[in-house]
Amino acid sequence: MKYALLVYSDQSDWDGISEEQAAERRAESMPRWITLFEEMGKADPDAGGRELVAAAEAKVVRVVDGETVITDGPFAETKEQIGGLFLTTLPDLDEAIRIASLVPAAEYGSMEVRPIVER
Amino acid sequence: MTLSLEATFREEWPRAVGILTRVLGDLSLAEDAVQDAFATALERWPRDGVPRSPGAWIVATARNGAIDRLRREKTFARKAELLARLEGVPADEDADVSSIPDERLALLFTCCHPALAVDARIALTLREVAGLQTPEIARAFLVTEPALAQRLVRAKRRLRETGIPFRVPPDHLLPDRVPDVLRVLYLVFNEGYAATAGESLLRRDLCAEAIRLAKLVCVLMPDEPEAFGLLALLLLQDARREARVGDDGELVLLGDQDRRLWDGASIDEGLRVLRRAESLRRPGPYQLQAAIAAGHAEGAAPHVIAATYAALEQIDPSPIVRLNRAVAVALAGDVEEGLALIEGIEGLDGYSYLPAARADLLRRLDRNAEAAASYREALALTDNAPERRFLERRLRGVGG
Repeated sequence: MKYALLVYSDQSDWDGISEEQAAERRAESMPRWITLFEEMGKADPDAGGRELVAAAEAKVVRVVDGETVITDGPFAETKEQIGGLFLTTLPDLDEAIRIASLVPAAEYGSMEVRPIVER
Repeated sequence: MTLSLEATFREEWPRAVGILTRVLGDLSLAEDAVQDAFATALERWPRDGVPRSPGAWIVATARNGAIDRLRREKTFARKAELLARLEGVPADEDADVSSIPDERLALLFTCCHPALAVDARIALTLREVAGLQTPEIARAFLVTEPALAQRLVRAKRRLRETGIPFRVPPDHLLPDRVPDVLRVLYLVFNEGYAATAGESLLRRDLCAEAIRLAKLVCVLMPDEPEAFGLLALLLLQDARREARVGDDGELVLLGDQDRRLWDGASIDEGLRVLRRAESLRRPGPYQLQAAIAAGHAEGAAPHVIAATYAALEQIDPSPIVRLNRAVAVALAGDVEEGLALIEGIEGLDGYSYLPAARADLLRRLDRNAEAAASYREALALTDNAPERRFLERRLRGVGG
């Protein structure tokens, strides 16, 4: 089964902190990221992931009555925004949930496990 | 359908669906094949007699039917692979079905997977593991047949589309998954147990089905003490069924029940099963609840029951358990302490038993005005007719 593991977190936590503080935070979660990549690599050597630029930088595009309307992001007014995603091929949902739980954001944000439709 | 044929169907359904799901990797495909085999059985068995090995006959017929069906499929992507796997299933109608690996436990864990909604787990478990027909389940849960059929279709689609595995979970997941399975069985039992005298027998049959499923789980997981704990609890509760409702349809509280109406054989079996659970020396919430039920059945001293509730609260500090413990403490003689415990409970807003229990303790302390207020609070929270009559009688008793 193919799964998208969507990473959600409150990006405003990163607003207004210094470069040093940001670097410190990243360093803190580094061991967990290493564990994640080891486990994901074992489970699916072809797994891929991407981090997204902050949702505040997003453009929201809609076509209304044939006219393109562009507004600034984020799309939804929720606190947690999608910050990245992984695409993986895993044996089953239990394994997808296990891998998702290893993503550091599962602790300070949340992970969404979405099976990908295969036709 | 005659009773024995129906019993055979219920017994053989999960076995056959389990075996075919393992081979086909898809519960819906397996169910279709087994359903066809049962239709053929219904046609032939009354005429030709029940085969020597009904289980093997069903599996062989389902296998052959699935092969025919697949061959007719033109576009099915995995056709060749599935045909090859089906060829590996025994085609001998007289074979001993026990020679094929038993997949019923995998079926049960799959039907009770936490990624399914709770009512979907219940419906799926009754359909696939208990082998009940869709109309029977719909009637028992007081929903329409199309609604229940839809619930089952959605659940099976979710199994397939989200990749819920068909297996007994590996050891590291079992501590999480076993309680999920037991919970589904307990919910099935409670659905039947809550049914009052006037309601259909089908609802009450749910208790028997839950007990049958719990026995199956005990057979399949003989080292799981909580499975035995649950079975003991169900047997002990079921034993009191006839005594719970009076001739006038009123609820009869445990202390006021006519013990002659208790089912002695069921109590004995419950006590035996509980001893088996306790011999495994890993206590858990179902074992402790069964121990409390056993205490009531054997007339244990109230302080012993209160102590068992305290042990239960240690591992399951849920508000319901805390409420029950508070009542047990009061029954053991310390009404003030029981009342204090009730006042400390949070998270039971809207639950009529909380003000009802508080009212009862206030009444015992002769605080009648406060008791009346609590009875009124409880009345505002319940539509259940026998419960309302009970509360109204008590309310009049305290001059409210």
